[in-house]
Amino acid sequence: MFGSLAIALYMLGLTLRNQQLVTVAVVLLSFLTWAALKAGHADVASSGRRLEEKTDEEAGVSLSNLSAMRKLSAARVFEDGEVEVTLRVQNHSPLSKVLEVRDSLPEVMRIKKGANYILMELGPRRETMIEYTIECPLRGFYTIGPVAVRIQDTFGFFHREKELHVYDDFLVFPKTEDLKDAFVKSKVPKIFTGAVNIRQPGPGSEFYNLREYVPGDPMKSINWAAYARMGKVMVNERERDAVSDIIIIIDSRAVSETGPVSRNSLVYGTRAAASLAQFFLSRRDSVGLVVYGDEIVSVDRDTGKKQLYVLLTKLAGAMARGNTPLQVVTNRILPHINKGSPIIVLSCLEDDSTIVNAIRDLRARDFDVTILTPSSLEFEFDARRLDRTGYEVLKTERDILISELRGLGAFVMDWEPDMLLSTALAGARGF
Amino acid sequence: MAIPGQSSDTAHLNEGKTMRAAPRSRKKLAGQMKSSKEIPKDAIPEVHIPTFVESMFGGPLVPRMRFLPADKMVQTLQMLSGVVMILLGVLTYVVTPVSGTLWFTFSEMIGVEVLGIVLHLTIVLAALGCGFWGIFQRDARFLLASYVLFILVSLRFASSKVTFQWLPIEGEFIEKVLLIMYAVFLVMYMELTNSVIRFSMLDTSIRTGEVYVMNVKKVLNRYHISLVITPVIAAAVAFLTLMINIVIPAVVGLFSEIAATRLRESVELTSVYGVALGTMIVFLVVAAVFGANLPARIQKFRESA
Repeated sequence: MFGSLAIALYMLGLTLRNQQLVTVAVVLLSFLTWAALKAGHADVASSGRRLEEKTDEEAGVSLSNLSAMRKLSAARVFEDGEVEVTLRVQNHSPLSKVLEVRDSLPEVMRIKKGANYILMELGPRRETMIEYTIECPLRGFYTIGPVAVRIQDTFGFFHREKELHVYDDFLVFPKTEDLKDAFVKSKVPKIFTGAVNIRQPGPGSEFYNLREYVPGDPMKSINWAAYARMGKVMVNERERDAVSDIIIIIDSRAVSETGPVSRNSLVYGTRAAASLAQFFLSRRDSVGLVVYGDEIVSVDRDTGKKQLYVLLTKLAGAMARGNTPLQVVTNRILPHINKGSPIIVLSCLEDDSTIVNAIRDLRARDFDVTILTPSSLEFEFDARRLDRTGYEVLKTERDILISELRGLGAFVMDWEPDMLLSTALAGARGF
Repeated sequence: MAIPGQSSDTAHLNEGKTMRAAPRSRKKLAGQMKSSKEIPKDAIPEVHIPTFVESMFGGPLVPRMRFLPADKMVQTLQMLSGVVMILLGVLTYVVTPVSGTLWFTFSEMIGVEVLGIVLHLTIVLAALGCGFWGIFQRDARFLLASYVLFILVSLRFASSKVTFQWLPIEGEFIEKVLLIMYAVFLVMYMELTNSVIRFSMLDTSIRTGEVYVMNVKKVLNRYHISLVITPVIAAAVAFLTLMINIVIPAVVGLFSEIAATRLRESVELTSVYGVALGTMIVFLVVAAVFGANLPARIQKFRESA
């Protein structure tokens, strides 16, 4: 702008034969030229090529001797967790530099402490550490970087920018809720004992009933009080503990992201799936996961902490895309699931005409189906994006669908956005 | 059981949202909502479409940022800008006579010459007033108005030679020194007032935690040094340009004394066109320096030293 002003004044001065204007223009041009010279801002070289076309070394001599390194306090955090970032900027040049450094962060991240944008003077052959803490409010795969470095003249007329390609990836898992009980268990025991009783006598911890002693029963199971009372040797029988195969199906179709970014069906669904996976794995169940959107991504059933992280990673990366019908998913997974395994479906139940058929198929094969359905209607209604009539009509349609699914023997809970997961689960099972 | 002194809801556990054991009455809420076809305001993303002027200048002319109260750094710059502005006001009044201006021509036409002088003075005072308001309220719109008025007051058809109506100054050297001082003060005024806004933005960003500045004093020192050095250099270049009617004859005099004398007595060389010639010569040298990529080469040499 100053350059244009200088030229305009110069031309006007010559036209009006006004030395005052010409002198102002000359001073302004000298001012700008000196600033450009100090900033090393020879934008067009003698060859006529612009600086951007040149090699990195040629293009930014003053920035070529800068380097950056970054360290993260954690590569995996849960939602609302914090990551401490330490950025080390080094000046290898013998000259002191006034730098603007900006570490590029994903848009959803919030800076909790410190700053990712620093203005500083970095002495010759010196380095400095920039520390800041970010809060990660939403699940996903994230990358920090590149580091943008800028040098400008003291008047701010000219600047030179460079991106230092230093990238660090980290993962934000959906946050989990502590569950005391999920009210879900398998009807068919597996050979390995687990923490869930299945109403059958066998090795376990809970009392089941009393029966007469038969040779071979361990001495420790004799109930001496009953023996004294009844006059014959009685033993305690215990309820069999067993592991279950739990299958969690997450709907990550495009429609599941209807609503605000931090409050939609997919966000709630992934959080619920993470909480359930943690709960079931902690009681030694096998948990499998199916995420369907534009494709069907599945994690085979397994147990243990490693499986939890595998599931959390898949949940972190679930993207709202595509429109795969639920029946396609059930048709694909049915042959691979043990009979009677509990299936938990987390879906908004919208924009899918195959839902009823899919659930009917599952129920026909005697699977224990629980559906938690965070309604995007409620998210839209809360965000005041739905009028009264529209809400009432859509809500009625949804209630009819839910009633139909309940009629098929599935446990369905219309999960309100503000309701605790444990309450929703209990509600689904009729408690 | 509710803990005394703590809210019984669960808002503190979940992003400020109250988690409830039972769903809310949606029907009740729906009943409270107005049936309207209007698009909610929050459903439309905020998109700033640049105006014609903004697209011409590649961005907004004045920043729209709200500043926090000025700190010491900004206050110093405000004081400095104020002082420079007063000096500029005086110099403007001295070096820009009313003759040749549009308003003087108009007042001459209607036969009230004093009106032209009053209007001229009013413009200078208005420029000062806008400047004061702009500097101390940190309002870039008033600063812009002030720049325009300061330039407007010097817009006049001149007779090619420097004339100072208000001050009986004789002598080319003094005239040119005053002229350069005026030009330097005008440019410094623009730069300083600009820096008031720039440093206010920086100060606000620092205090809101948006940016962190290491060694603020060192960064400021660099700026203060530049504030001294740059005007001196600009003045020197301008002086060289304005004194071209002495420099060129001196150079030509090495080869031919007669040609040098003719040049010295030439009206063109002492007029505004002489200044234009001087500017051309000086900036041809500067262009050659840039054309040879000398700044980058010097920088490279210094970096590898």
